[in-house]
Amino acid sequence: MTVRELLEQGFTEVTIPEPDREIRGAYMGDLLSWVMGRCREDAAWLTIMSNVNVIAVASLANPAVVVLTEGVTLPDEIRILAESKGVNVVSTELPSYEAAVELSKLIS
Amino acid sequence: MKELSLNILDIAENSVKAKAGLTEILITEDEKTLKLLIRDDGTGMEEDFLKRVTDPFCTTRTTRKVGMGIPLLKMEAEMTGGSFRIDSVSEKKDPEHHGTETEALFYKDHIDFIPLGDVQSSIVTLIQGHPDTDFLFRHVMPEGTVELDTRELRAVLGDEVPLNEYEVIKWIEDSLKEQYEDLHS
Repeated sequence: MTVRELLEQGFTEVTIPEPDREIRGAYMGDLLSWVMGRCREDAAWLTIMSNVNVIAVASLANPAVVVLTEGVTLPDEIRILAESKGVNVVSTELPSYEAAVELSKLIS
Repeated sequence: MKELSLNILDIAENSVKAKAGLTEILITEDEKTLKLLIRDDGTGMEEDFLKRVTDPFCTTRTTRKVGMGIPLLKMEAEMTGGSFRIDSVSEKKDPEHHGTETEALFYKDHIDFIPLGDVQSSIVTLIQGHPDTDFLFRHVMPEGTVELDTRELRAVLGDEVPLNEYEVIKWIEDSLKEQYEDLHS
């Protein structure tokens, strides 16, 4: 499933500079240094964190999309940064676990 | 990071990379706060680089787009309601007195405070990996102080004995362990 297709499944666009990226697997975590070494390339990364370091970790680990859960949003300047770095970000009101369960149905 | 001791390792490695002769790692705790101060006499940073150094998209590494050590430490301190500062004087600006000083203040009673973790291992790892530079470690707590100064070790051992020799590392490990145990017994 591509990142663009997530939007038809109840996830909301924050910024999607690369809509055709294919999602392969998922990773959930909020301790950024931990995520940095463990989140696989092309995964969907679920997190509740929303500061500038999230975009930095995403541009290192290179997940297909960052999924902000629990209704978390990005401040405007960070959304613009994500866009300029080619980092896809979507959001959902669902708690992290429920969002992961939803994703599991969609990407398997 | 999962423990502050890993942040200490990361920041002190920056000091060594900046050709520090002496790197001071000073931890000061009271009931409510933990202050981490890492000070070196390395080459320091130019002012424009210093301004960008807390930006995760700035780094000295060429293999990576971003350097996360300093931004993460800043975030971890601020998450507890604490603060972060970094000051530096470049060798170019002042050939006599140059170096970098990084300070992070944490509120220990905040739920997001990351525990200090195994700081003894971090210190040993630093000395083992960089036996030719000096480290001063001082951990001040309400119950007392733990201290280790490689310059003192060098004065006793003489220049022929490298600090990463097994017996020396073992002695350092035991010394730190004993000092902590004495405070908590």
